[in-house]
Amino acid sequence: MFVRDYMTRHPILVEPDASIVEVQGMMSENNIRHVPVVESGKRLAGLVTRQNLRISPMELASLNVWEITRRLSSLRVRDVMVRARDVITTTPDTPIEEAARVMVQRRIGCLPVVEDGIVMGIITEIDLLAQLTALLGAQVPGWRATVRVPDRAGEFAKITAAVASRGWGIDAAGSLPAPRQPGYWDVVIKISAATRDELISVLQQIEGQEILDVRATGP
Amino acid sequence: MTGDSLPRPPILRVHDLSISYTTRRGPVEAVREVSFEINRAMTFGLVGESGCGKSTIAFGIVDFLGPNGRITDGSIKFQGREMVGRSQDELRKLRGDQVAVVYQDPMQALNPSLSIGDQLAEVLIVHRGISRAEAWRKSIAMLERVYMADAAQVMRRYPHQLSGGQQQRVVIAMALLNDPALLIMDEPTTALDVTVEAAVLDLIEDLKRDFDTGILYITHNLGVVARVCDEVGVMYAGELVERGSVESIFARPLHPYTQGLMRCVPRLGTTKQSSQLFPIRGRVPAPPDRPRSACIFAPRCDHATEVCHNERPPLRVILPGHSARCVHAETIDPAAWRPHPADQVAPPSRPAAESADAIILELDGLKTFYAQESRSLTSLIGLGGKRYVKAVDDVSLHVPTGCTVGIVGESGCGKSTLAKTIVGLESPTAGRAQFLGFDITVPVSRRDLRLIQELQMVFQNPDSTMNPAYTVGHQIARPLQRFRTVPPDQVYDEVIRLLRAVRLDPSYYDRLPRQLSGGEKQRVGIARAFASRPDLVLCDEPVSALDVSVQAAVLNLLLDIQQQYGTTMLFIAHDLSVVRFFSDYVAVMYLGHIVEFGPAEAIYAPPYHPYTEALLSAVPIPDPQAEQKCIRLEGTVPSALNPPPGCTFHTRCPRRRSLPDGGAVCARETPPWRYTAGSASPVGHRIACHIPLEILSQVEPVITTSRGEKRRCSCATT
Repeated sequence: MFVRDYMTRHPILVEPDASIVEVQGMMSENNIRHVPVVESGKRLAGLVTRQNLRISPMELASLNVWEITRRLSSLRVRDVMVRARDVITTTPDTPIEEAARVMVQRRIGCLPVVEDGIVMGIITEIDLLAQLTALLGAQVPGWRATVRVPDRAGEFAKITAAVASRGWGIDAAGSLPAPRQPGYWDVVIKISAATRDELISVLQQIEGQEILDVRATGP
Repeated sequence: MTGDSLPRPPILRVHDLSISYTTRRGPVEAVREVSFEINRAMTFGLVGESGCGKSTIAFGIVDFLGPNGRITDGSIKFQGREMVGRSQDELRKLRGDQVAVVYQDPMQALNPSLSIGDQLAEVLIVHRGISRAEAWRKSIAMLERVYMADAAQVMRRYPHQLSGGQQQRVVIAMALLNDPALLIMDEPTTALDVTVEAAVLDLIEDLKRDFDTGILYITHNLGVVARVCDEVGVMYAGELVERGSVESIFARPLHPYTQGLMRCVPRLGTTKQSSQLFPIRGRVPAPPDRPRSACIFAPRCDHATEVCHNERPPLRVILPGHSARCVHAETIDPAAWRPHPADQVAPPSRPAAESADAIILELDGLKTFYAQESRSLTSLIGLGGKRYVKAVDDVSLHVPTGCTVGIVGESGCGKSTLAKTIVGLESPTAGRAQFLGFDITVPVSRRDLRLIQELQMVFQNPDSTMNPAYTVGHQIARPLQRFRTVPPDQVYDEVIRLLRAVRLDPSYYDRLPRQLSGGEKQRVGIARAFASRPDLVLCDEPVSALDVSVQAAVLNLLLDIQQQYGTTMLFIAHDLSVVRFFSDYVAVMYLGHIVEFGPAEAIYAPPYHPYTEALLSAVPIPDPQAEQKCIRLEGTVPSALNPPPGCTFHTRCPRRRSLPDGGAVCARETPPWRYTAGSASPVGHRIACHIPLEILSQVEPVITTSRGEKRRCSCATT
């Protein structure tokens, strides 16, 4: 689970002297929000996001319609981009949760993936959310069960042992500290081999755990 | 789980692209309204016959159209940016180092005067501006990535010191050094041997996965398409007539042209007795003759109706993700198709000549060596021993009368030398060769005229075997006059008869070779070979230079003529499906030796010689569902100057380890001929291998056709 496997390889790139109008059109046409700016040899020079392309309302108010056109047509990517030294980047070998942590902490939507100064790809919040859906099994149909377990060793093993004893496979699993209830964890598992009643009867037999929810999910 | 569910913009989006060339006779539209998209980690195959505009599209994308080529309409969006209508300078910046091209001939892409290392490192030094030492290190890593053995050594070599397969690997490594988003491959394996081709195709498959590169793969070979492509576009006369996923196209070709193409290629395992090839009648119209407002395929189409001749059909979606440019696509059932009566060839009956007395050609221990001067000082003064290239080494072969014997093997295995020796263009070094009781170890210049007359040849390249200054009629008449096959006053009639026999109109009599297409030239070549009514015709790769639809027509023609005259044929080819289709007996050659011989059906089923098995597993099969064993030979064919001792194949044999002692005997002793049960006759099935037949018989068949999931070859290549 490293960035190299989940990033978008060969992202759309622009050069510093590309026109803003063109980049704006290209971003909306391809439905992308971030474009790394590169110099020759794909060296990172900066980053353009949709925010960079916005003209502030105050500035807008001071211009008439002709001035806006002229101003926009003369603007180049280099004038509006976030410069390379201010762009937060990651590397292909970073674990994805580490990349996600950086994005949460800095409140940013993407990280250009850079190796030896060369842009290898880009990883965005969408890429990470896609992996979250895969992690919790949203891409396969089946039963999604949430179980609240005490925070001590061996509780997760009880679940897997119970499921394995019936010969079912776990399609996806994840666990988080229970919200608003310290000392407990919420475990989510996804199972497709069993019926709903079979699954509940197996999970009910585990002592000290509480079934919070069982529902069908998937496409 | 690469997040493929994420919608990502395509790397390349070609929309309604039209390209023209300006010629003296006005603009010629080479490509018309072609649209397709290429995504990350996807191979889009463009297939079609020569002259249909495949390469023009590739040239259009990289702007190599030349001074007279021009994009007249449409758009090419690469990485979201429009490429059409920009200046060279802007294009260079946009494309940057993100598009790489691999061409057919690797030698053209490599500089012969620079070492491999210098050429690879230069790419990085120029584009990335990194130090030479660093570039060198990265180049070695990339060579290793394309499974080049001994990469550090190869860096110091020059292109001519590498084999064709190695050169193509270097070119692919060079293309990938910049991590391109789009890789254009224009017939990258066409010039390579099947075994090498198979390894390169495996490599392309691996690289696509690891580098997430979008690949535009141009080829004429349906088997290659089935092996490497995810999506396919079928080109005909400059138009995209069908587009869809590879499974869908092979399972249900919608356009009559695609259906026709599939009927043209022999499938591995079919024979002339069991099935027939159906050429597409007519020929591709030249660009000025292409109808503007009609279906472009209508003149050759069996399903054409009024509407096809009056209206140009749009490219319509017919099945999910599968579209075709045909108004009748829904109603045409390829299974209900019946050939045109003129194309029907009666399935040839199998000659029953199994006994040794009907042998027309008998080779016994035939050897043809080429002397090579050694460069040492002793040889300068005439004392050094000569070294020999053992092109044909100890070949024994019996050719039954009226049969076709196919000879297969990789390039450099001695197929052509064997043919030249039989015809008399080379003199054998040792051994016996008898044809109709005549000794044919004498060179052609000292042979009896009657002998020459009975032994004719059809060559691979009809261009270089015809005198461009003489008319077709003159060229066919010449052997008639020389051999006095017919009285002088009947020569003209005989030429016309021969022309008709090869399905050419009498009006061809006065044409010059340059006025003929490749297929027509080959027909003239065949007419000339058969003019003297020979008993034995040697065909040296007669169809490998031709397009598939023409190839089918020429093969049918050869079959037909052979039926008529009862001629015996030696058929040399590298395409195992064609050989299987065409031959009654097959000889597999490796490094000057015949390693397996027998009736065709015996060669293509176990027991196999390990080399035959590897060859069969390398053939690209035009069926994405066919299951094929993955056996890849290690290394390259050793030099015939210094062939390995014992079994010449032991250095690359994948089955050698199954013998006790790691197959030590293979390196020591020449393998014995092993005859399969009940086939001790000179034309019976025999295998030259140390491995006992019982073990070889237990090997599973190489190819099985299943209707399961798409086959992906996943073995590691070394």
